[in-house]
Amino acid sequence: MTRLLGIALVAGAISVPAYSADRFDQKLTPDKQILHTINRLTFGARPGDLAEVRRLGVEKWIDLQLHPERIPENPELAARLKQLTTLQLATWQILEKYQQAPLMIRPVQPLAGLTSLQVCKLMQGGTVDERRSVIDSLSSDRRQQFLAFGPTQALDGLADIQQEAAAARQADQQARQAEFRRLMPPLMDLLTSEQIRVARNGTDAEKLALFDSLDAEKRQKVIRSLGPQMLVNLPNLRRESMVVGQPQVYVNSELVDNKLFRALYSNHQLEEVLVDFWMNHFNVFNGKGQERVLLTSFERDAIRPNVLGHFRDLLLATARHPAMLFYLDNWQSQVQRDDIRPPAGSFNGTPLNRPGLNENYGREILELHTLGVDGGYTQQDVIAVARAFTGWTVYDLQRYAEFQFNPATHDRKEKIVLGHTLPPGRGEQDGLEVIDILARHPSTAKFISKKLAQRFVADAPPASLVDRMAATFTKTDGDIRAVLQTMFSSPEFLSEGAWRAKLKSPLEMAVSAVRALNADVTDTFALSQRIADLGQPLYGKVEPTGYPTTGEAWASSAGLIGRIDFATALSGGGIPGIRVDMSRFNFKAPAAVASDLLGAAPTPATLTAIEKGIQEKEATPSMLATLVISSPDFQSR
Amino acid sequence: MLTRRYFMRASAIAVAGMGAAPSWLVRAAAPGESTRNKILIAIFQRGAADGLNVVVPHFEKRYYELRPTIAIPAPGKNNGAIDLDGRFALHPSLQPLKPLWDSGQLGIVHACGSPDGNRSHFEAQDSMESGTPGRTTEDGWLNRALPPLTAETSSVRAVAIGAKMPRTMRGDRGAIAVSDLQQFRVRNDAATSILESMYAKADAPLMAAQGKRTFDALKTIESINRTPYTPAVGAQYFGEFGTGLRQIARLIKAGVGVEAAFAEIGGWDHHSNENGQLPPLLTQFGNSLAAFARDMGDRMEDIVLVTMSEFGRTAAEDGNNGTDHGHGNVMFVLGGPVRGGRMFGHWPGLESEQLFERRDLAVTTDFRSVLGELVHQHLGQKTEQVFPGFSIGEPLGLLKT
Repeated sequence: MTRLLGIALVAGAISVPAYSADRFDQKLTPDKQILHTINRLTFGARPGDLAEVRRLGVEKWIDLQLHPERIPENPELAARLKQLTTLQLATWQILEKYQQAPLMIRPVQPLAGLTSLQVCKLMQGGTVDERRSVIDSLSSDRRQQFLAFGPTQALDGLADIQQEAAAARQADQQARQAEFRRLMPPLMDLLTSEQIRVARNGTDAEKLALFDSLDAEKRQKVIRSLGPQMLVNLPNLRRESMVVGQPQVYVNSELVDNKLFRALYSNHQLEEVLVDFWMNHFNVFNGKGQERVLLTSFERDAIRPNVLGHFRDLLLATARHPAMLFYLDNWQSQVQRDDIRPPAGSFNGTPLNRPGLNENYGREILELHTLGVDGGYTQQDVIAVARAFTGWTVYDLQRYAEFQFNPATHDRKEKIVLGHTLPPGRGEQDGLEVIDILARHPSTAKFISKKLAQRFVADAPPASLVDRMAATFTKTDGDIRAVLQTMFSSPEFLSEGAWRAKLKSPLEMAVSAVRALNADVTDTFALSQRIADLGQPLYGKVEPTGYPTTGEAWASSAGLIGRIDFATALSGGGIPGIRVDMSRFNFKAPAAVASDLLGAAPTPATLTAIEKGIQEKEATPSMLATLVISSPDFQSR
Repeated sequence: MLTRRYFMRASAIAVAGMGAAPSWLVRAAAPGESTRNKILIAIFQRGAADGLNVVVPHFEKRYYELRPTIAIPAPGKNNGAIDLDGRFALHPSLQPLKPLWDSGQLGIVHACGSPDGNRSHFEAQDSMESGTPGRTTEDGWLNRALPPLTAETSSVRAVAIGAKMPRTMRGDRGAIAVSDLQQFRVRNDAATSILESMYAKADAPLMAAQGKRTFDALKTIESINRTPYTPAVGAQYFGEFGTGLRQIARLIKAGVGVEAAFAEIGGWDHHSNENGQLPPLLTQFGNSLAAFARDMGDRMEDIVLVTMSEFGRTAAEDGNNGTDHGHGNVMFVLGGPVRGGRMFGHWPGLESEQLFERRDLAVTTDFRSVLGELVHQHLGQKTEQVFPGFSIGEPLGLLKT
């Protein structure tokens, strides 16, 4: 009996009948409509945004956001983007300028200078005498290299030479260590112990003075040795450190800066939300190979120009971009050839197999980019799509990384994709036709519409809305703007069912908090790290599924504690690069502070908890802001 | 498995809403009073540990041919490995694990790993932690191995030691990440009780549920922190990894319903100077595992701890006294229920044609066979739900029946 009572108590405490996800037919009041629209189409309201939307009217404002070219851009944004020079560079320019300098510069070719007969004797069963005479025939330099790096089985039975080899390995080891030390000297080789103390633990002013006192070469070495983490608060030095030590990470960090500055300051808010949405839909992971240098162009050239255009153009742009071709391995996918021997060597530690079909992109374009996992395709379709895209590859990944169609590796045989027959004997046309087939498939219209509705309306959007959006998609041949218009003008969008129905992702939470406080952001490094710590490293999602679109996934992994700590740090001015001015909250009561930051009156649960809780305590603006930002009201949008 | 006290604690906190739980409720979680549930602990060695030098196949002449510089000397030689069964031996720095082998608590599976031949750290770790190589899943195998959340489930039922939630524990079964028990608090004490009250009465069920679990966990850990912790006599934890295991031990002994735990130890990617780096790392590793076993004492009857790494390393040494990324590796299985003191799996050999792609130790036991057997026999869960698309086949016989 007590057990049942226990359950009843628990159940009673949690479920509150007032909240219901089924109220999509109940229209929001005009005031709520304004806030809701801002919460959904932007990264959060800044002071003055509500008034602006009220002035224009929700419908007009939404229409304006759907046509960003009509909106003058915020000059504060341009000022911040100016220093991010890599954003304008073509991929080949980035590759040229920001090459990862290899540390071990001594080439190792143990078998250099040997004839193939000699190699054969060494590797495949020459007698002891034969092998000795081959090794003795090498010049002394070549002999050193061979003994240090050559195949050990060549020395079977040659005990004296084995000893020599051990000595050669050790000598080479020492030489490498000395070389390493010369190229990357530790701090104690460069600075006095007092200077090291300053570099590690000094104040920002002391550190700056120290760096100014060093000559250019030494300064670069010190910066490189310290690394970016030790220079978090000194953006220019940190940048220098990254450019020297991790140039490709640096390139990506500018892209992160770009993303955050735009989310924080751009007036084209809907466009930025859509760039985030489509980048996530066509996810590429920055940690794979050289992706860091390919992503800048990917976002700028493939995604951004197409976010409000036709889905087919967006799909094609991503299909052709080296970033996607590399990430999902299509650049290596070739027509199956059973008559070729496997090549020697490896890429990134993975040995190259006999060239053949790689199904990865074929599967993901169907499962994740277009039809969706339940869209009605089969494994045969996956293979056929992969075959259609053979030959879609990348030219010179190390120096140019441009799209190239290679006819020699393209599978020219007939293919059947989702019931469409692609005749034999064609080239690039196969892939182009698949793009058309997928972009126009009814399941694609549904899948894309549902994802958009999940982002902008609710985790489980009403089927009727998704159907209407899909109908628009089909009718307009995938016009994203038109689909968004259908969604934004729907009764479901401006309904109670959608009100505060979405949990903010770490990115949305952090950016909306900074915007609500109207803080001045000059450096985004610390902010991006916090967002990463909350579970959303920007451009850093390993799986092609991208970051989750539903709240449940964020609720379990984000950690409420992390969000509360973020709110505390932000409100207290404790995030480097962000300056908050809390003076506008001075002498304001909790209800007023909450309304200011939330754009609406706080819920009774939130307000009561704050008012009761701060009765005896010091209710500083920072404390109040922390509580409001941490509240369920602010954590949802 | 669930005591009346859990019900009362959970419901009382939900109803009371404000402030810390009354002290009599906190005392309800005193050690020894809660039921002893089975616990599975996963340890991840990040960076691809060199299984061939950790558990040395000293009976293989080929091992010494392939690694003229870095092979671990055979048992009996100077700095020699510690013989286990006449064929395999432990790296000398793992001396503390020998008594566990002798007492039957430690079993070893060699030549295991993922069928996926990926040699990229990131991708291979992700694939092993998700438990679904070749497929994309959002959550991790150890999270799926736990029963779904109910209102009574302990808020600290699944604990990962570390600042971030590891892939292995990701999912909707209620895991938390703790880097340091003492630091597991909101950095704003004044705000904590206010926020707890706020979330308890929140409209959205998702928010209220998340809030409840979070503040519950905070309180539980706060009450644990009030009692200073003394490990059992002779249990001396070593290094950062040791500190992590110590915290797991502390949580388990506090009787707060831990069912699964996770810790990691990095630094295994020895492309050069392997024998300069491996000994101190293995010292920390072995010492900490042994300390944990000693600390837990007879509680080890309910605990199984399993270690893994994303892949092994090349059979032959490279030109820098180290090894490159490989394939097959070794897994340790430690605990009271283990049929220890023996090697499991099938040794494929080190001849050229026996190696994977002619360079790495082959994989003859899928890592999911090991984990699946533990999940099934120790935790009582169905393996198809934890490792979808994988059928276990012949059991290895890792645990006592």
